Amino acid sequence: MKKGVIALLFVCLFAIAGIWSGVVYAAEEIKVGIIDTYSGPPSSYALDVLDGFKLAMNKINAGGGILGKRLSYVTRDDKFKVDLGLTSAKELIMRENVNLLVGTINSAVSLAVSDLAKKENIPFIVTYGKSSNITGAKGHKFVFSMNENTEMIGKAAAIGLAKRPFVKYWIAGDDYEYGHAVADAVWNHLKKIKPDVQLMGQSWWKVGEPDFTPYITSILSAKPDAVIVATGGAGCIPFLKAAKNTGFNEKIPIYMHTATELSTLRPLGLDAPEGVIGTANYYFYYPETPENKAFVDEFRKAYDRYPSFGSLIGWCTASFIAEAYKKAGKVDAEQFAAALTGLTINSPIGNLTVGQFDNQLMLPMFMGVTKKVPGYDFLIASDIVTIPPNELITTAEEIRKAREQK
Amino acid sequence: MDFSSTISASGLIQQFLIGLSRSTILFIVSSGLSLVLGVLRIPNVAHGSLYMLGAFLCYSIATLVGAGSTGFWVGLALAPFCVAFVSLVVERALFSRLYDREHLMLLLFTFALMLLCRDAVKMIWGSEYRSLAPPEALQGSLSAFGMMFPKYNLFLLSLGPVVAIGLWFLTHKTKIGKIARAAAVDRDMVGAVGINVSWVFASVFVIGCFLAGLGGALVAPTQNINQGMDHTLIMEAFLIVIIGGLGNVWGALLGALIFGLTDSMGILVWPQFSIVFPYAVVVIALIFRPKGLLKATW
Amino acid sequence: MVEAKGYFKIRTVALLSILLVVLAVAPSFLPRFFTYLLALALLTGLLSTSLNLALGFGGMYQFHHAVFYGIGAYGVSLMLMKTSLPPVTGFILGPILSAILALIMGIICIRLSKLYFGMLQLSLGSLVWVVIFRWYSFTGGDDGLHGVPIPSLIATVTGSYYFTLIVTVCCMAILYMIVNSPYGRILQAIRDNPERSASIGVRVRAHQLVALVIAGFFAGIAGILFVSVEGSAFPDLLSWTLSLELIIMCLFGGWFTFFGPMLGSAIMVGLRTLVGGYTEYWTLVLAIILMLLIYFLPEGVLGYFQGLGANPKNTSAEDR
Repeated sequence: MKKGVIALLFVCLFAIAGIWSGVVYAAEEIKVGIIDTYSGPPSSYALDVLDGFKLAMNKINAGGGILGKRLSYVTRDDKFKVDLGLTSAKELIMRENVNLLVGTINSAVSLAVSDLAKKENIPFIVTYGKSSNITGAKGHKFVFSMNENTEMIGKAAAIGLAKRPFVKYWIAGDDYEYGHAVADAVWNHLKKIKPDVQLMGQSWWKVGEPDFTPYITSILSAKPDAVIVATGGAGCIPFLKAAKNTGFNEKIPIYMHTATELSTLRPLGLDAPEGVIGTANYYFYYPETPENKAFVDEFRKAYDRYPSFGSLIGWCTASFIAEAYKKAGKVDAEQFAAALTGLTINSPIGNLTVGQFDNQLMLPMFMGVTKKVPGYDFLIASDIVTIPPNELITTAEEIRKAREQK
Repeated sequence: MDFSSTISASGLIQQFLIGLSRSTILFIVSSGLSLVLGVLRIPNVAHGSLYMLGAFLCYSIATLVGAGSTGFWVGLALAPFCVAFVSLVVERALFSRLYDREHLMLLLFTFALMLLCRDAVKMIWGSEYRSLAPPEALQGSLSAFGMMFPKYNLFLLSLGPVVAIGLWFLTHKTKIGKIARAAAVDRDMVGAVGINVSWVFASVFVIGCFLAGLGGALVAPTQNINQGMDHTLIMEAFLIVIIGGLGNVWGALLGALIFGLTDSMGILVWPQFSIVFPYAVVVIALIFRPKGLLKATW
Repeated sequence: MVEAKGYFKIRTVALLSILLVVLAVAPSFLPRFFTYLLALALLTGLLSTSLNLALGFGGMYQFHHAVFYGIGAYGVSLMLMKTSLPPVTGFILGPILSAILALIMGIICIRLSKLYFGMLQLSLGSLVWVVIFRWYSFTGGDDGLHGVPIPSLIATVTGSYYFTLIVTVCCMAILYMIVNSPYGRILQAIRDNPERSASIGVRVRAHQLVALVIAGFFAGIAGILFVSVEGSAFPDLLSWTLSLELIIMCLFGGWFTFFGPMLGSAIMVGLRTLVGGYTEYWTLVLAIILMLLIYFLPEGVLGYFQGLGANPKNTSAEDR
């Protein structure tokens, strides 16, 4: 038993060492805790966000920081798991004493951390979680969203698709919350704008489905006018690849949100299918404004690759943080949250405003069609149509209704 | 909603063929799992990781060799052997010392291997999606009788019987196969007649892993190659092995056919809930025959 | 195992009481985050101890224990969110649901032994997972349930810690009594030699089934504790990798000891948070720990120390 006592002592020592290390509180900084998925397939999105954040942060710090304080960050990897995300969030709040939280690509983690942020009175800025519940039904004054949500996707897709001659649609997607939410949103809004559309059928495959061929062949035999594909980050690339391999895109027009986004098209290289209709919130080649060009050049100089939508999110997050603290005039969670609501900044894609009622960043949406263009070793979007943010926002009435229901 | 109108005879046949080609991959991978389970009695959780490794290696070799389709063929030919070599090293260096331990320890050890593989793949290949094009001759699809059938799936389909016959030949006609089958039934007896059981085990393990690598290399052009591949596959492979009967290679074939076909037919018949079909079939099969449809080897 | 000579028992009791006192006053000197972590370690410890009842003492390959944990968590979350019944009913119903599920799965699996049992349980468990993952309207699908309205008394970090501590201590005491009761002895006898047990008239299957139900019930309790600590329930709680991690915790601490799994869980939870937060390669660390354990410490940490004190010929761990 002597050894047992020694072992116990060791455990205690270990614990104490753990407690004392790391409790370093620097009042001279504004510390942002970033929780995101830095392992596994989603990490390429998370790294784009982080690099965009760093780019803006370095600029802010070079310009004297915020209210005389430096902006800094710590990251934690949630490994796409809710429990790890929650533990990390608690660690960041309670042990690292961060001023605010930023993250994550997983909607479930975002919702869980949002709930924690509400309890702990810590502002939480969602970077890549696209569930409309985050700022909608489950929204509160401390949660903000920097990317488009499923409702906005639905509205944008409906506006864009209604202009095309398709009547008979087929819906296919990843069988999980995001897939169904996107599909429902697109379909409901499309039905509103163009009542004569018909839904011929639906196919749902499990998340991470390795082989899309059986689904594609079954859709082909039904011969719809167009297919609405609702896949999340992990499903987009393999689906497009399967579409190319089976010649799907040549037979039936496909709409897929994020199909034209750089994060989707870059990994596919020249193997991507042409003619796929996609919506995205950012292209590094559009709009061709000096602001966007400057952002792209800066980003390329720093990280030697083109910025994706994720990079813009990261950039916006850091910029909004700086502006909101400046507006609030001091480092205080309540006042920061109040200042961020309704705030406008000048971004590479023009002025962007955080929604007054739901704290949702009002982003424009660009609908384009994939195309091979000389000069790039991946496909880019062509025939781009801009759908302005005021056509996409959720009204105060809709938000009130959604929040009452739950 | 009325779906019956959308199902035509040609659609049915087409979907059936797709299901078959899907079963082929599942069979190749799960027969390897079943082989190892039958002879060594190890539920090799790392089997899916070896499949993933096969896909990544095929991708790397193909891009390294380059030159269009030749790259892929070289990758397809070499990747399974690389996986087999890795498994041989692991078996000799680590695994062979554990055979006299409890099954649970062996299972946990393979779990550790799975975790190790996952991080090793991340370190070597990073976490970006990888994608490999099928060789030119197998791109696109064939159209006949109003059906559309991807050429690559046709290729996969033709490979299934080859592997099945090869395995049958290996287990029934070769000396090592016969010894392995005997060792599956009574390993002490095989040891008693002076055969080095340890090496029999090693070779069976390597063959099993070779099949995992082959499956991985074969699917590389049809899907994106990423770190999550192992996770989805290993569960399906285990279910197939269970419904087929543990350790029974023909059971694995039957299980793979049931799994692949219910999956693809489910998509046609009731697309919204197709995800549930294979699982439901597995549970029904197990309630009636908890030990699997065919006789297990042990 | 748990029974030992007099002095050993006194030492153990003394050690445990000191530990209890330390745990009881811990929130007053520990930073909040560590109080939370301690609560997490305690409930995970209860979970792996319940697993060990089936695995270590019952000798059954309970491969998918996390299912019962998850069902307990979902049971209480859904009761609190969707009904207006008093919260207590939710906290009672959660574990009962787990026990019922354990009974159903047990009846199906119990006919089989060892690996077959484990594999069948694994596949049935994944089916439960699919249902939870898919049933958006009811379980929230993959997004899970967040913001569960927990009674305010136990909603704070300290409140949930004391709730977890009290419940865990009570449950551990009950489990200890079960293991040392005549029933527990029979269970261990069945594990050591099922044929001989059957031949002297023990109803092997019935005893094993009871163990599975008890294990499921206490896993459900761990599930409701998780909800009280985190305020969320999500499909990850039912994942098979978590189940395997639980087995590792049992192995780490020593699965032929009563307190081993608790110790193993505490170490693993601590390591996962402290190491996992900093390095991307936590799974690699876990894999290496696991391999070292299998090679050098197959009886686990506590098993090793008890083995040193006890009769060296007592190698009950070896022949199974």
